[in-house]
Amino acid sequence: MEFLSLRNVHKRFGDFVALHDVSLDVHPGELLCFLGPSGCGKTTLLRIIAGLEVQSSGSLVQAGRDISRLPPMERDYGIVFQSYALFPNLTVGENVAYGLVNRRVPRAKREARVAELLALVGLPESVGKHPAQLSGGQQQRVALARALATSPGLLLLDEPLSALDARVRTRLRGEIRGLQQRLGVTTILVTHDQEEALSMADRIVVMKDGAIEQVGAPAEIYQRPGSPFVADFVGRTNLLPASRAGNGRIQVGSHTFDCDLAGAPGNGTLRIFFRPEDVRVRGVQGDTPNSAGARVEKVEFLGAFSRLTVRLDGIEQALLADLSVNDMAELRLRPGDALRVSLPPERLRVFAAP
Amino acid sequence: MSQAAGIALDPAAAGTAVTRLRVHWSDRVAHVFLAGACAALAIFLLAPLAAILVKSVQDRDGAYVGLENFVRYFGTPALARSIWNSAWTATLVTAITLPLAFTFAYALTRSCIRWKTLLRNIALVPILAPSLLAAISFIFWFGNQGLLKVLLGSGQIYGAPGIVASLVFATFPHALMILVSALSLTDARLYEAADALGTGAVRRFLTITVPGAKYGIISAAMVVFTYAISDFGIPKVIGGNFNVLATDIFKLVIGMQDFAKGAVVAIVLLVPVAVTYAVDGYVQKRQSALLSARSVPYVPRPSRAFDWSMAAFCWLVAALMAAVLAMAVYASFVKLWPYNFTLSLDHYRLGLVDGGVFPAYLHSLALAAWCATLGAAFIFVTAYVLEKTRGLDGLRPLLRLMAVLPMGVPGMVLGLGYIFFFVREDNPLHFLYGTLAILAVNTVVHYYSSTHLTAVTALKQIDNEFESVSASLKVAFWRTFARVTVPVCLPTMLDLSRYLFVNAMTTVSAVVFLYSPRTTLASVAIVNLDEAGDIGPAAAMASLIVATSAFVCFLYYLAQRALDRTQAWRLP
Repeated sequence: MEFLSLRNVHKRFGDFVALHDVSLDVHPGELLCFLGPSGCGKTTLLRIIAGLEVQSSGSLVQAGRDISRLPPMERDYGIVFQSYALFPNLTVGENVAYGLVNRRVPRAKREARVAELLALVGLPESVGKHPAQLSGGQQQRVALARALATSPGLLLLDEPLSALDARVRTRLRGEIRGLQQRLGVTTILVTHDQEEALSMADRIVVMKDGAIEQVGAPAEIYQRPGSPFVADFVGRTNLLPASRAGNGRIQVGSHTFDCDLAGAPGNGTLRIFFRPEDVRVRGVQGDTPNSAGARVEKVEFLGAFSRLTVRLDGIEQALLADLSVNDMAELRLRPGDALRVSLPPERLRVFAAP
Repeated sequence: MSQAAGIALDPAAAGTAVTRLRVHWSDRVAHVFLAGACAALAIFLLAPLAAILVKSVQDRDGAYVGLENFVRYFGTPALARSIWNSAWTATLVTAITLPLAFTFAYALTRSCIRWKTLLRNIALVPILAPSLLAAISFIFWFGNQGLLKVLLGSGQIYGAPGIVASLVFATFPHALMILVSALSLTDARLYEAADALGTGAVRRFLTITVPGAKYGIISAAMVVFTYAISDFGIPKVIGGNFNVLATDIFKLVIGMQDFAKGAVVAIVLLVPVAVTYAVDGYVQKRQSALLSARSVPYVPRPSRAFDWSMAAFCWLVAALMAAVLAMAVYASFVKLWPYNFTLSLDHYRLGLVDGGVFPAYLHSLALAAWCATLGAAFIFVTAYVLEKTRGLDGLRPLLRLMAVLPMGVPGMVLGLGYIFFFVREDNPLHFLYGTLAILAVNTVVHYYSSTHLTAVTALKQIDNEFESVSASLKVAFWRTFARVTVPVCLPTMLDLSRYLFVNAMTTVSAVVFLYSPRTTLASVAIVNLDEAGDIGPAAAMASLIVATSAFVCFLYYLAQRALDRTQAWRLP
């Protein structure tokens, strides 16, 4: 059985429709990520699940209980906000115990629970400190401990890492994911950071303009994006105008390529999509399938790899190609050099042109 | 772009009922508070104002007469002249106070003079005194038996000169506070850019400083004008035969029992105040985005000639203010002005205690204590419920409006509305009439707006998600209010409380209609003593009020410092 089911959730703010009939199932124990640009409705959807906003229409069922009209106090979730929302005048211990005090948990048990949670988030020494004495990352962990203290069935994380600097963010990603898996708590994470979504989620819900664009595992979203928007939003992308060339091939400028055309529209203009790292340059000969001549326009050194801007012969639009350090060391490409690239057929995807 | 797509097709828009969450019982508690606050402000603010409107179109027997009262009022030359008197004195006061206060504020924020804190505190002292202290003091300086009477030659202080001089003293700190904050809000980078472009000092002043402080200047002008046109104590004490609107209301209502005409004057007085208030509200709204978070604060650089002239100006102003205050205090100790200048406590002992006036001081203390505790608590809780709870959304705009309305209502008008409304014996709340409670309620309502806005500002600085987090942890909002919001806002609450205490000690205008023999207040006692010719005891009472306000402010200051020291979590 699904842990949480949203059916036709619709939200309007005056004339503006924030969510278009969103239907979605959340599996028990998974970490589901709402991913999308700002204004796509992902935070609104989270706040509706929390009861902090009210859907205009639609229903929500959590653990077999219809929660569509329940006030936040009667729902079962813990929540962590981007701002942490830690109570500044209470100690870390008091913050974590905040939801326990109300439930008449005996003092000794409460203290044991606080100690357990702080150990869990790696802050066993901080129980008597005030939030202002902690770093941003530590504060976020306290907020997490506070949300988990009452053992909620659902954990909601609203852009929990976006206020932190890059290094802390990367470390906390792994910690939160590890914790979530150990506790097995069903979790919904809202983020606009695709890297965060790809590295943490069991499944990603990509949203755009108040509607779900695609739902799938991170690898699926990345490798087989369901639309040009998903392709473009998650990872770097090359999109080139194309058309059908007959016998299962596709025409891009003066070149024809093999690719999987299943699911592509039958006629009209198309676009082919591939990732920069899918472009091969090493060992490409004149007779390599799906290959074409090209010229290097720009070389950008990015540490672990280099990003080349290249132009296929006879095609106006430039495309990106990522080359490993080894490739670069061998080929020594510079702007103006000619080269031959190939686009593996299994990595090409075809969409209708907008 | 994405919004355009969002608006496009909307399958659920047609005809479906909008979902509402069930209301949790703890939210009901908030709704009760919200509705209660609305009802309280409706009864103690809207109803009295409505009573004035009604009274103005009725004759003495309560029959509807249309605009006849207005016609008769404007047909009485003596009364109509008061409009002109009020208007030009208030304008003149604004024209004098504003440049003085601006220069003083400029010196405090843009020069390197020393003793800035001391100068500022001296300049703010008038706030601690009832406005009529200045009038009493000017009588001792320039009145018929005044020390410096000779300076006036054949002229005299009673009338417009005394009114204007006293009002300048009384309004100076109000303008100063606004202008100091306006001038502090300037981005130093603008000045650096001007310097880099070789801009001259005068041009820099006219193109950066004045435009930057423009809204503050307008706001200060409005505050001074409103204060001057609606003040009652000063024209009552030093006005002589020079009539203004505020004293007319008093004479018509208390002296001649002509309530209808009093109501007409109240409405006449309401108009300019409402207009200035509307202008100020408009200006405040436009000001908000003036300063970005990245602005760099301006740090003045020493400049010998400029600093010396600024210091000279400030010390001159401070000396004049000290002279006004000191004269009232000095005169309160002088045995028999102007014949026997030996110092004694006679005015305190014989004039106040034996004269039976001293209880008025105790009433004022009690009133101030009620306003500073229950009043401040009511204002804060109402602001909290308004800003931080959910549901009952229909009432919230109404409550917001009522909370800022008192700013546009002069005290005399509010007080008059209270008598009209509560004096009627068929009003179930008539029992409040003549009690200390109604004075306290009236004072809290009179000073509601600025305290409410202070509370709202403080609450808005608190993370809005505290209530959301509490709800997710199943903790009712009042626990979070008590455990988090109140401790975090304690400094602001102390501010509110102090503000209400000082104003309750010093206010005259609204309460002058409402006191009974059992609840005479200190500030009102000054008016009565002065009217009876007991100007020495009047000065004593005024001094007592200043001393009390100052002492209480000092206590609040100690409390604030104790908070900062004991609550380490406040410091980053």
